[in-house]
Amino acid sequence: MNFKHKYLFLLPGFLVLLGILIFPIGFTVRLSLSSWDSFFPGLDFIGLENYTRLFTDDPRFWEAFQRLSFMSVITVFLQYTIGFALAHMVWKEIKFQRFFRVLFLIPMMTTPVIMTVIWKTVFHESLGPVNDFFSLFGVTPLWLSSEALSKVTVIIVEVWQWTPFMFLLLLAGLLSLPKEPFLAASIDGAGPIRKFVYVTFPLMAPISIGAIIIRLIEASKIMDTVYVLTSGGPGTSSETSSFYIFIKGLREFQFGYSAALSLTYLIIMIISLTIIAKMLVKLMIRS
Amino acid sequence: MKKMIKISTLTVTASLLAVAAQADKWSDQFPHIKNTGDIAGECSYESMSKKDYSGQKLTINTHAVPVIGEPTALHAEQFSKLTGAEVNVIHTPAGDLYSKAMVPFQAGQAPYDIVFGFSNFIRDWKQYLQPVPAKYVNMRQMQDVTQSHIDVNSWDGEMIQFPIDGDRHYLKYRKDVIDNPEYQAKYKAETGNELRVPQTWKEYGEMATFFNGWDWDNDGELEYGSAEVMKKDDLMFAAFFSRSVAYAKNPRVPGGYFFDLESMEPLINGPGFVEALTDWVEATKYVPPGGINFGLGDEINSFGGGQTLFSFSWDDAFVAAMQDDSPIKNKVGAAPLPGSDRVWNRSSGAWENEFNQAPYIVWGWTAAVAKASKNQDVAFDYLCFFANDANHQADIAIGRFGVNPFKKSDFVPELYVERQGWDPEIAKQYAETLMEMEEGSTNRVFPLRVPGVFQFNSAIATGTSKALAGQLSPQEALDEVAAEWKKIVKRIGADTVREAYAIGVALEDNL
Amino acid sequence: MGTFYTTLKYTAVTIWSMFVIAPFLWALSTSFKDFNSVTSGATYIPWVDFEPTLEGWRVLLRSPAQGGVNIVEPYLNSIFVTCLASFISILLGTLAAYALSRYTFKAGFIKNDDITFFFISQRIMPPVVLAIPFFIMLGKLGLLDTLLGLVMVYVVLLMPIAVWIMVDFFNKVPVEIDETALIDGCNPIQAFFKVVLPNSIPGMVVAGLFCMIFGWTDFFFAFILTFTEVQLLPVAIVSLNSSITPWWSLSAAALVSVAPLIVVAFIVERYLSKGNLSGALK
Repeated sequence: MNFKHKYLFLLPGFLVLLGILIFPIGFTVRLSLSSWDSFFPGLDFIGLENYTRLFTDDPRFWEAFQRLSFMSVITVFLQYTIGFALAHMVWKEIKFQRFFRVLFLIPMMTTPVIMTVIWKTVFHESLGPVNDFFSLFGVTPLWLSSEALSKVTVIIVEVWQWTPFMFLLLLAGLLSLPKEPFLAASIDGAGPIRKFVYVTFPLMAPISIGAIIIRLIEASKIMDTVYVLTSGGPGTSSETSSFYIFIKGLREFQFGYSAALSLTYLIIMIISLTIIAKMLVKLMIRS
Repeated sequence: MKKMIKISTLTVTASLLAVAAQADKWSDQFPHIKNTGDIAGECSYESMSKKDYSGQKLTINTHAVPVIGEPTALHAEQFSKLTGAEVNVIHTPAGDLYSKAMVPFQAGQAPYDIVFGFSNFIRDWKQYLQPVPAKYVNMRQMQDVTQSHIDVNSWDGEMIQFPIDGDRHYLKYRKDVIDNPEYQAKYKAETGNELRVPQTWKEYGEMATFFNGWDWDNDGELEYGSAEVMKKDDLMFAAFFSRSVAYAKNPRVPGGYFFDLESMEPLINGPGFVEALTDWVEATKYVPPGGINFGLGDEINSFGGGQTLFSFSWDDAFVAAMQDDSPIKNKVGAAPLPGSDRVWNRSSGAWENEFNQAPYIVWGWTAAVAKASKNQDVAFDYLCFFANDANHQADIAIGRFGVNPFKKSDFVPELYVERQGWDPEIAKQYAETLMEMEEGSTNRVFPLRVPGVFQFNSAIATGTSKALAGQLSPQEALDEVAAEWKKIVKRIGADTVREAYAIGVALEDNL
Repeated sequence: MGTFYTTLKYTAVTIWSMFVIAPFLWALSTSFKDFNSVTSGATYIPWVDFEPTLEGWRVLLRSPAQGGVNIVEPYLNSIFVTCLASFISILLGTLAAYALSRYTFKAGFIKNDDITFFFISQRIMPPVVLAIPFFIMLGKLGLLDTLLGLVMVYVVLLMPIAVWIMVDFFNKVPVEIDETALIDGCNPIQAFFKVVLPNSIPGMVVAGLFCMIFGWTDFFFAFILTFTEVQLLPVAIVSLNSSITPWWSLSAAALVSVAPLIVVAFIVERYLSKGNLSGALK
């Protein structure tokens, strides 16, 4: 392959990205070494004080991280399994195929900032339809105001909103699978379950891994859902890292500290995702 | 003193109402002020029409529509017509007002000539604001503003923010229950106590509990005790402070309420506050389902929609209840916040068993002009016009505008009876309650207005909401808050915080 | 066995469909309510449970001085910014993805996978901290409160998605196709455009949809980086969110803002089945 061509393809995108990002990222690093806040704006230099603080004096950040891991793993897992199932079901012949396919795409097209307000009205404990339904059984679950249920509500909303993402990727993947392996399996006498386990699933492995990784990245940034539905409450029981970073940054205006939190978060996420990706490869390609 | 105020208020009002009889050319052109016509003054419609600002542009960042957002846009339109200036208004949700203004300020830009916000932003953003010129401060229109509102918008004697709205916390209750002889008898029979406007928070809790969870207004829906702002967002800490003032603000102990002024030690985990938080945890039992997650909007929906017996934060819930199409119009009453039977004395380290009550002079909507604005005259004229007598009178009659009384001439019951169809007794009670808090109290707490105020408030919100959720006991929660406050003070610098806090303390201690 | 699976399939699909549609129906019903219909408990059917009003919808066309927010201009702005940013992102992203799929890069210990990961790791950063630097940067370039400034920022946000997805799709296109084209006398660029690209239409369509979705629904950057000249749809709608949450106008706004993307969804679905590889190898 000609030496020149590969750079011709890669560089425009790469350089544009790098060019625009280099200042913000550099600034963020510099910011994390300062104590920029509402009262002292400006880049003074305090060394690694922000980092020391977050490692030794900020249990709330690490709790938020734990909660985030817990919630994003669950949501992504649910989104993957449901998304895959749905994609598989509308892949081949089914009545109203086009209708279902388009319908299943719609939730992710809603603007989170607005849709979460709608969800808040849906789950409103006194005035919403969900509890209206439950009141028929005499219970009033506290969807947004109990420690356990608030997490569940956030997960429900996230699953509703982002399963279409998995659904679309996996459907596209299924549609571009070659026919040969399936024909071969049929000839071998394999039924639908064996076909799925031994042909479909392994062939879909690369795209599954890609989908899961990107979904994990996006799920970790979950902000609007938590902010609108529960404000991280009750107490701190539904606070996630991105919510905490947001509060520290744009509400309390501790930008310097928020930058340190973000960079730490970034590094931890990169490391975790690399590990997870490798694990998934082993898990899925094994078959 | 009170009598003087009453007389001068009546005089002003009489003249205002007399003016109302005149239809003038301005109210024809601008139907908004049809009730009063234009009222003479340096910033009246007449005066503004003489100014020519054509070719000049104003950019304003204000709250979402309609609360404060709609009047801003409306007055912008009127101002534009009168003076020829081009006025652009953008609307921002409440929680983002601060960041929307501060990010540009801190990045060295000033895209807005006028910024709207909450008056407790003052310490953080005053470095970017232009103080109000003396000519506006000395206008009759401004002199009519109550002292506490002038104080809340000033820093160390200098007016930094332009008063355009008034806010306070007060108790709101359902008259059709409290004044109902049947319920009074029932309550007396079952508890042995009088059913009346609660004088203390303990009474508040008892009554709320009694009326929690059954249909006492026969509308087919369950009602509950109290709607309060408990959601861990920007406003819950104010609800907490309102509940704690009676227990922790001792008129005999000067030198600080949130901190000890000398040492800058947080006082937030003292017994007075803990008592208030304990009450508040109790309250989670008499709020509607989901009440622990109520933001201000939910509280307004709840009390204003007839769901609860009590509410006690900003005006909005009362105003919503008194709208023409509200099912509980003229069924609600206003009263000062409950007090307490004992107050903590931190000097002697003991409870004093005396009745104590004090208003929490809560912050509210305000507006200010950016220092870097190139159109300061236009900007100040706009704000003056916004708050001119004619506009102000018209604004306070429109509930959804969110503009509430803050001028001495506002506290006249007849205005509400005539213009908004309020029951005369309710209007009288409302005016008296507000007047008492503004002008009559000698023991009060000013909002915390120190650098980094959001950090302190955020710490309170986190701590108290943990207590409400049952994750920590009230003492543990407040200890956590105090520890966090200590850290914040250390980070910002004790002297810096003390210097700012001293200003608020001076206002509290020199009444 | 077959019928069991079929019934299961239809039941599952129907249940999920109901789950998907439910909030929209609720939003539709709520968009016709007013303060009293909302505060007296959950109501569902207009005229039966409550008096409907068009207020929630009318508010979207009124000016703020009359208590509304006119969403027509923000709507058009959003369309422009989203389409342009997505187009540029797909263009640059697809090219880059192709390179990462077909060629080997090595600079020290940095290999293909790392470069790909660099692209996607841009999505990890919580946007909050980027507020100030982007603000300063656009300020210095004079691009604050402009459509172009927003496009620039969105390209940075959307390109990684395009790259990540296209790398996967290009990896599925067998290298034999490239080689066949080269043998037929094309240079690599022609091979790319004539042969590989048509086979990756499903991938591009999917990537394009994601770019458009993330661009259309972004609130944060539009909020921080614009003031009066340029307003995007999410920011305009949120300006209705005052102390009392207007359930009705926000419901109407939610429905209105999802509408254009539904149209795009139909287009996407149509193109999903094209470029099926089994035909290409012939």
